[in-house]
Amino acid sequence: MFQNRAEALALALPAAIFAAAVFLVPVVILLSDGFRSPAGGWTISAYTDFFSNSLNQTVFLRTLRLGALVTIASAVIGYAAAFAIVSLEPGAKGKVTGLVVLPLMISPVARTYAWIVILGRTGIVNQAFQALGITEAPLRILFSETAIFIGLLQLFLPLMIISLISALENMPKDAIPAALVLGANWFQVFWKVVLPLTKEGLVIGGTLVFTGSLTAYITPAILGGSKVLMLETLLYQQVAVSNNFVAASVIAFILIVMSFAANILLKRVATARNKQRSQA
Amino acid sequence: MNKVILASGAALMLAMGAAQTPAQAQEKTLTISVYALAQDEYKQIVYDPFQKICGCKLVVETGNSVERFAKMEANKANPVVDMAVISMADALAASRAGLIDKVDTSKLSNFGKLYDIAKDPNGDGMSVGYTFYATSIAYRSDKMKIDSWADLLKPEYASHVAWPNVTTNQGPPALYMLGLALAKDTPDLKAPIEAVGAKKGEIVTFYEKSSQLVQLMQQEEIWAAPIGRFTWAPFTKLGFPIAWAMPKEGQTGGMNVMTVTKGSKNRDLALQFMDFWLSTEVQTKLAEKLIDSPSNKDVKLSEAIANNLTYGEETAKSLKLIPSAVALDNRAGWIKTWNEKVGQ
Repeated sequence: MFQNRAEALALALPAAIFAAAVFLVPVVILLSDGFRSPAGGWTISAYTDFFSNSLNQTVFLRTLRLGALVTIASAVIGYAAAFAIVSLEPGAKGKVTGLVVLPLMISPVARTYAWIVILGRTGIVNQAFQALGITEAPLRILFSETAIFIGLLQLFLPLMIISLISALENMPKDAIPAALVLGANWFQVFWKVVLPLTKEGLVIGGTLVFTGSLTAYITPAILGGSKVLMLETLLYQQVAVSNNFVAASVIAFILIVMSFAANILLKRVATARNKQRSQA
Repeated sequence: MNKVILASGAALMLAMGAAQTPAQAQEKTLTISVYALAQDEYKQIVYDPFQKICGCKLVVETGNSVERFAKMEANKANPVVDMAVISMADALAASRAGLIDKVDTSKLSNFGKLYDIAKDPNGDGMSVGYTFYATSIAYRSDKMKIDSWADLLKPEYASHVAWPNVTTNQGPPALYMLGLALAKDTPDLKAPIEAVGAKKGEIVTFYEKSSQLVQLMQQEEIWAAPIGRFTWAPFTKLGFPIAWAMPKEGQTGGMNVMTVTKGSKNRDLALQFMDFWLSTEVQTKLAEKLIDSPSNKDVKLSEAIANNLTYGEETAKSLKLIPSAVALDNRAGWIKTWNEKVGQ
């Protein structure tokens, strides 16, 4: 599009300077705290200290586990919902997509508080369970990993559905009928045709959901509380209560690394499948 | 055209600058650092009337105590804030960090009117208490009976209790009282933290924000929770029989204090402002709006107002507050023990 590279770079320069000044530099300053030795010089002792503490290990693994579970669950539900939506008439499709996006316009605080009412001892979930004879006494759902999982899934599922809708819409319309005609069953159609053709959407959606689940603060704070700490709630505790900015910077760095790692991993999985296919 | 716009813009800015400069030069400025609560009411009751009296400009900085403390520490060499209101323990931390100065109480005409507990809370002459609060247990009197802090951990009650997280203002005082109830009140709070840890599976939640409790009480998720008196009012409107416990070990609580920044260039003005805030008139108005319980004993309140606050000589005397030095020296240890016994 441009005559030379210099011209393109010149146009990108203002945005790059802005991003570097207001985002990159502060982040680097913040993160460097975790690598500074109190005596001067650089060290990774803050990281070894962090991971040698058993509470931190528990919180780290819990965050990773919940992030992964929410991502997997949202992918499974997301594919089903996205398939259903793309198969609708154009008018209905717009309306249903609008409904999917609608929760994103409501504050996460309001959405999360609603779960306190729904999941409580006297909430509709427990009422239904008791009415159906599934349980005798109300279940304790609030302030548990289950509550956080439900809250995060509801919070981030729309992002996955939207990513998958756009991926499915870009898929050639005759790919699925062709596979079926050639004798593939539905599982094979999904695994060998749909998944490879929509992997970009899955990678984008998966990264958004996983990163969002790792870094969400309000949902784990309200639905889990300090009984079920996640890395974000631990980070808040370190800053606001213990005034320990070094530990907070360590947690922030871990969260950033986890987000990048998730993105790289998802991309790898997608390309690995591609290579397999092209070799086959 | 562009030149015309530029020129007129420049002229306008010059004119505005010229208009402001003489006024600013004459005006004294007092910068205060306060909690971000009820600022509209403070403006109406404290800030605006004081500006009229002193003929000065009041600059108000707000934030939580950690943010404000960090800011004061960063500006230590050249302080921006003249006067700060912080918690008792934070005042001792500020004093240890060399951020605040002795309060010259001879310049506070209302000093004599303060309850003894508020005159010099840390015993170092560095702060004056402007409000205090009791911490006790709000509970459903139709479901349970609370005579002791240890009652909360009874097997039949524990699964209906929300306990304050150790990181909240109510956490350590509640643990301190539980320690008294268990007759094991060491400064490290080890015994009460272990007792709570043993019941962590049953306790509904370890709350961070007291605002959450009203909803949990309304949904009958909880029957009892240790709370500060300043959050009591909404519980009384829930339509349930909710009582304020008077455990045999007594009530605990906390106090917020006023401090003068070391190196402040407006020390006298800061003291004048503190004196105004501590006056019977201002303290009465703040109490009537249910913002701060008065530390001035001349404040007279109606029963309805007093019921929602921590009020009166008897109450003030009965509060068992954790000494600031104990809080400061043990805070990190409390969180560590808590995280080991309760957090995982």
